[in-house]
Amino acid sequence: MTAIKHTLQKDLFQPNEERLVAFVHVTKAGKKKRSSFLCATLSVAEGMNQTMVYQVKKAEKGEVYKKKMTRYLRDLKVVDGKDARKETADFDLHFEKVYRWTASSIGERDNFIKYIWKLSQRYLDQKPEFLNVPKKLMEESKHVEKGHTSMEGMDVTGIAEDYQALTTKEEQDLDLLMSECQVAISNAEVFAEQLSKQLSVLDGANIHSIMGSEDQVLNLMRLLDDGIQQAEKIEEKLDSYNVILQVVKDQMEVMKDKDTLINISTKNHKKLLDELEHLVVSLDLDMKFQKALADGDLSSSRGILECTEAAKELEKSVSADIHPALRKMAAVDEQQKKFAKISSNFAKRLSHHLNNFFIHQGNELGETLSRHSGDLKLPQHNSIHRDLIPYAELMLWLKNADISNFNELSKVYTQSLSKLYVREVQDFFDCAKLHLAGKGDRSKLGSVGGSFTGSKLSGSSTSLNKYIEARGRSSSVQSIDSVSLSYSSNINVAARHLFDQVLEKVFSELEPVCLAEQDFCCRFFHLVSDLRKDSGQPQEVHDSDGEIWMPLNPKITVERQINEEVRNMLGALFPTLQADIDDFISFADKLDGFNSMYLLVKMSQHVINTQDAGSFLSKTFASSLVRIKRNFDSFIEMQIKAISETKVSKKSKCGIISFVHNFEDFANLAESIFKGSDRHTDLDKGYTKLVAAIFDNIERIAVDHPKTPKEVIRMENYHHMFSVLSTLKISSLEGDKKKAKHKYQDSLTFYTQDRLGRPLEKLHVFIEGVKGYLSQGVKPEDVGYQLAFSKQELRKVIKDYTGKDVKKSLEHMYKKVEKHLSEEENLLQVVWVSMQDEFIKQYNDYEELINRCYPDAKITLEFTINDVLDFFSDIARSH
Amino acid sequence: MREYKLVVLGSGGVGKSALTVQFVQGIFVEKYDPTIEDSYRKQVEVDGQQCMLEILDTAGTEQFTAMRDLYMKNGQGFLLVYSITAQSTFNDLQDLREQILRVKDTDEVPMILVGNKCDLEDERVVGKDQGAKLAQSWDCGFVETSAKAKINVNEIFFSLVRAINKKNPDTRGGKKSGKSKSSCTLL
Ligand SMILES: Nc1nc2c(ncn2[C@@H]2O[C@H](COP(=O)(O)OP(=O)(O)OP(=O)(O)O)[C@@H](O)[C@H]2O)c(=O)[nH]1
Ligand SMILES: [Mg+2]
Repeated sequence: MTAIKHTLQKDLFQPNEERLVAFVHVTKAGKKKRSSFLCATLSVAEGMNQTMVYQVKKAEKGEVYKKKMTRYLRDLKVVDGKDARKETADFDLHFEKVYRWTASSIGERDNFIKYIWKLSQRYLDQKPEFLNVPKKLMEESKHVEKGHTSMEGMDVTGIAEDYQALTTKEEQDLDLLMSECQVAISNAEVFAEQLSKQLSVLDGANIHSIMGSEDQVLNLMRLLDDGIQQAEKIEEKLDSYNVILQVVKDQMEVMKDKDTLINISTKNHKKLLDELEHLVVSLDLDMKFQKALADGDLSSSRGILECTEAAKELEKSVSADIHPALRKMAAVDEQQKKFAKISSNFAKRLSHHLNNFFIHQGNELGETLSRHSGDLKLPQHNSIHRDLIPYAELMLWLKNADISNFNELSKVYTQSLSKLYVREVQDFFDCAKLHLAGKGDRSKLGSVGGSFTGSKLSGSSTSLNKYIEARGRSSSVQSIDSVSLSYSSNINVAARHLFDQVLEKVFSELEPVCLAEQDFCCRFFHLVSDLRKDSGQPQEVHDSDGEIWMPLNPKITVERQINEEVRNMLGALFPTLQADIDDFISFADKLDGFNSMYLLVKMSQHVINTQDAGSFLSKTFASSLVRIKRNFDSFIEMQIKAISETKVSKKSKCGIISFVHNFEDFANLAESIFKGSDRHTDLDKGYTKLVAAIFDNIERIAVDHPKTPKEVIRMENYHHMFSVLSTLKISSLEGDKKKAKHKYQDSLTFYTQDRLGRPLEKLHVFIEGVKGYLSQGVKPEDVGYQLAFSKQELRKVIKDYTGKDVKKSLEHMYKKVEKHLSEEENLLQVVWVSMQDEFIKQYNDYEELINRCYPDAKITLEFTINDVLDFFSDIARSH
Repeated sequence: MREYKLVVLGSGGVGKSALTVQFVQGIFVEKYDPTIEDSYRKQVEVDGQQCMLEILDTAGTEQFTAMRDLYMKNGQGFLLVYSITAQSTFNDLQDLREQILRVKDTDEVPMILVGNKCDLEDERVVGKDQGAKLAQSWDCGFVETSAKAKINVNEIFFSLVRAINKKNPDTRGGKKSGKSKSSCTLL
């Protein structure tokens, strides 16, 4: 049993914070099978004295118990023990219906009933009736007294078999009682008897007092009956009042309904009124506006203002927010038709007016304009724009009201204005060309086109002339002299300065006119307002690549389209601009290749640094820039071609080749043009190609020349290139500078050694022979014993080279070198010093070898080192 | 020798010039100078055939877009270059390709899709699969390159030459064999 109890407590009641107080193993009365448990529990949750009765069943399988029925103890009305006297295991529990049970044993039943009684005594206000239950089951334990704390009250919930100790007070009472009867200890039986006697006395007294109170109870009952009767009377009264009030209430409800109906209808009235007023107001166009639209003056600024205001009002009315249902009203329909008519009439009137205005402007300005010439100026159209801008708002109205008329108008505008622009732009560029070519001395300008071939060498002139003719100029003014002017001569500087100025002017005239027109078109034809509206957020689509140089952020297509619209309009207004610029570019290029450099620098400034990469002007300029770049490239190619076709005179000594000579001026001029430009890289690429071509062709000419030795040509020209590159300090040519230096030094050494082989030729041959023996392993001391290289032989050879002879042959050599070298490059001194060094080196070399191989012979050369130094300086001085 | 006109297209700063200069001169240009237009010539041997390549390096910046039609008309094969570090440069190519097809008025134009700067793996934003997928839909070659690290630089130019050969087999070679045949029959 305890095991089951423990299980039940743990599985079923603990989780709900309940404590199993008593339980009984029962079967339903009559049916023997399917037993279950009735459990009485007490909630142990804080502040709760919930008592429950459960029927618990064991599941068919396993040791699992389930609550089958749950009842509050307070709902228990009757506990029927069936028979108070006869011992029976049956009992009934009366909840909402009667449950009949048979306990498994009488003891269990009694125990259960006892605890039910105890629980109800302690925790229930409305206690169940206990019928046919043995009295002994319905007794408080003796020691339980009123006023006990609920803690002690928990005893009831304690397990029945628990031993309960006496409290001190009970102990004292017991002591007192026992001390009153001394016999107690010695004779328990007597004592017990005595006690039971006393108990029965007390019982009797108790019954007596209960019986005594019966009268009072009867009295009380009577009073209660009276009270009930009174209450019933009052209730009746109240009911009658209620009936009366019910009628009033019904009436009130009817009134309330009516009130809401009235409210709704007034509200609707008001709404209807508002709607109508709104309708009337929005569809009402003031007569003064109607008049303005019908025949307001479109040529005075006041008239325009009035019309603008009227048009705005009209638009408001036309686009008024009217419920579709209302549109079905005849009045509304009529009014709208009227508006449509006013609108279309006004649109016609406006279009007509502007149409005439555009055509008039196109023609009139065209006539006055051409007398502009002389000055390099592109006429501004500010006045037209000023005249037209007041119509801008009307144009916006027209765009919304009548798009086809609007489009027609913009077509007329572009057509008539483009006629004007075409003429103006052409005149402008003609004028610019005139400035470049016509004004001033043609021959001076004509001489600008230099190339590397333009040297003083007459032999080179033919190719140059052809080249100039190819560039489309009259060759009559060409003379070799004019071509030979270096790139930096004063006249050329002036001519180039002129070009720079003209170019500056072209840009400063062209750009504002285009931008002003673009600006005007955007405002007048409302191309940009859309852009602003539509592209609120496109700017920062910048990817996180962090490449700041990334010039193109992807623009949102809307913006692209708008840009396209503006661009198309400007393209239509300036249909020949691209061709005119390109024409000017090729004209300038033909005039002088350096002009392409100026153009490249100037144009790229405008194109690469533009804020507005997609604009008409930027794109036009960019396309021109590509053409300019091509011209620049072909200018460089042309120079290279000229270099590779250069021929030098075969009659005289070579000297500095013309293209080497001209490179310095070319580079200086180019540098001055590209100063500070970020297109210097393009020039650098050109330089690299040019210098490579120059080096190649120095070699070509060096090999071919009949008069001047190869090494001299190389030496002189590379030296020249080196010094030019050193002064130019062009960083991209550093490598070429070093290359030139090496080539120069190599050829100097080679030349020096080559020339010096001669003056002491026999000695040289002798020494070489000695060296040959030595290198075969012959000991230095033994060389003298060879027949061909005996001391005597050596003495003989040395004797041939007296100081006088040496000086003479050196002098001869000097003359030869002088003949080879050009005055221009002035390397004679350098070569002479180099030869002196080389000679002394040889001298030391011979002496050392002689000392080594003929140690005791005391053989020396006929002249000393000092003699040599004197010879060299004497010769140099005397020339 | 057969001549090939190759055009390098793509947005600004993707490395068109760097690739071209690396291919032609074997050097890497670190500095960024926006190109206006540069043309190069280089003789190479592809599949045992000597070829003269005429390479046009174009401007990527927006101002120059007006010239594109001309480039497309004259070019025989195209390198469409983007940078794997900038999504927008990849997106721009779709328009470019459509323009080429429009100008050439054919669906089969030799071109190679090139994803440059593949040495900058850390900054990659365009996946390799993205490039491959686009190339597949265009039915053209796709290569990721680095002008800086000399990865696949020659390959893209060679592939383009092969693509041109495939579309237009060398007619002169064919003629030659034809002639020799006919002379044989004459004999
Ligand atoms: N890390 C890395 N940088 C590169 C690579 N290719 C080019 N760059 C750099 O990217 C920048 C732009 O390269 P460019 O070749 O000038 O670009 P582009 O495409 O010719 O530009 P535009 O001429 O304006 O159209 C330069 O600073 C190059 O050094 C590459 O493969 N790897
Ligand atoms: Mg470039």
